Amino acid sequence: MTRSTGFSFIAPLLVLMVVAFNAPIVYMLGLAFWEKGRGFTLEHYEGLVEAPVYLRVLGNTMRIALIATLANIVIGYPLAHWMRGLGSRGRMIAIALVVLPFWVSILVRTYAWIVVLGNGGIVNRALQWSGLTDSPVSFLYNELGVTIGMANVLLPFLVLPLFAAMLRIDDRLLQAAASLGAPPRTIFWKVYFPLTLPALAAGSLLVFILCLGFYVTPAILGGGRVPMISNLLDTLINQIPRWEQASAISTILLIVTLAIFAAYRRLDRKASA
Amino acid sequence: MNRESIGGSIWARRGLAAMGIFGLVFLTVPLVIVIPMSFSSARALTFPPPSLSLRWYETFFGDPRWMEAMWTSVLVAAISSVAALLLGGLAAYGLRRGTFKGRDWAEGNFMAPLIVPTIIVAIALYLALAKVGLLGSLLGLVVAHTLLNVPLVMMVLGVAIREFDQRIEQVAWSLGASWGYTMRKIVLPNLAPSVFAAWIFAFIGSFDEVIVTSFIAGKFETVPKKMFNELILEVNPTITAVATLLIAFTVLALAAVAIVLRRAGKLKDTVV
Repeated sequence: MTRSTGFSFIAPLLVLMVVAFNAPIVYMLGLAFWEKGRGFTLEHYEGLVEAPVYLRVLGNTMRIALIATLANIVIGYPLAHWMRGLGSRGRMIAIALVVLPFWVSILVRTYAWIVVLGNGGIVNRALQWSGLTDSPVSFLYNELGVTIGMANVLLPFLVLPLFAAMLRIDDRLLQAAASLGAPPRTIFWKVYFPLTLPALAAGSLLVFILCLGFYVTPAILGGGRVPMISNLLDTLINQIPRWEQASAISTILLIVTLAIFAAYRRLDRKASA
Repeated sequence: MNRESIGGSIWARRGLAAMGIFGLVFLTVPLVIVIPMSFSSARALTFPPPSLSLRWYETFFGDPRWMEAMWTSVLVAAISSVAALLLGGLAAYGLRRGTFKGRDWAEGNFMAPLIVPTIIVAIALYLALAKVGLLGSLLGLVVAHTLLNVPLVMMVLGVAIREFDQRIEQVAWSLGASWGYTMRKIVLPNLAPSVFAAWIFAFIGSFDEVIVTSFIAGKFETVPKKMFNELILEVNPTITAVATLLIAFTVLALAAVAIVLRRAGKLKDTVV
């Protein structure tokens, strides 16, 4: 045991990660640039550009990810801000109500929307009862349902870090602004909001990254009609085996994700500094 | 300084409260609705349920395929959560206390399964396991779940180790205690609440894992994999009972974590 450096503590995990995580990913990246008997090739990428279906799925994914992220900001920011102003007891309850769904299986939370948004579900019942519509509104198996489900599943990822950042804001700063005669609106927009902006941007980027790779929710709430990148990958692996094509798309998704994550890290450091 | 001058008028505060409560409702209502629906006597998912019954629970517990899936899930979660706890705990200790070069790089690599889209991990493991002939093996499944849960363990234990005063360990060493003795008698008892929390999180993480499992499990069925496959084909009310059981399981597990951490006075650090 080398107490001096401590490297031996991480060695067992390092071996496992290299064998079972790094090597498979490198192997997958390799497949995307390889053709049997011919060696290095870019043809799997050329195939992607030529097929309009891939570009359509990519556009679809970007649009849904963007809308779900915006919905998260619109719902999450006021929620976190409201939680900051609660008393300690109310705050604990609110935190518990945000943390609990975070830990409940994503399948359960996605399935719950089928129950809530279905034709006989509580939302359609309420809409018909109130006379807003005569026939059930179809929320499921279209883009609307997928977006609602994804926004719901990812909301805690935005709210928890944003709330933590808001708690770090010193009340005396706001009091100083008030004592200098700033009206509440000015205090919010000129003092409070700018202080929360790095955390909001970091959280939004995180949600956006997670949206890009989302698989379960579009598969269930989209009913096969709202293909996103992950579902396309599933098809290319499990249904029409075209592993090289799947590897090529995975490589692009991985690079985009890591690039956005690098931006996230930079903002997150700023937010927690 | 009164609140009004900072928080705005009463209407502004009421508006904010309405938006905050809407956010909480949006998060929790779907889960709350599932519970009464699981006791419905009807096949259709009509709210409110026409009458109450336990038929979907009977279907679940009476179906040998569901029961087998449950035991597979429990087995994989039990082994992989302990493996993640051991490997991740040791690594977290090495990263916090160690002085070797490349610690940031190593930590980034260990945390990567959290950032790399799970679908990519699933595809990479699928291709690699197919290559070495371990696709559809219990070993492949356990290893995959272990590495997916290591980041959770390291996040919880990393914070706990950083907050535990290193000088206490140094005192033990200077008094002649061996490394193993210090670990057993000083470090572990102090970290016990966090170790328990990390283990529960890893267990839940493995028990609920669906994407990688669907790709690499082959003939093995786990509860989430079976649930996912059934949901893609058709909506079956048995799922509502399964969903309610999973919610109950999560609530109980998190309550256990909250109680243990609260006793240790560590609840606030771990939650946010």
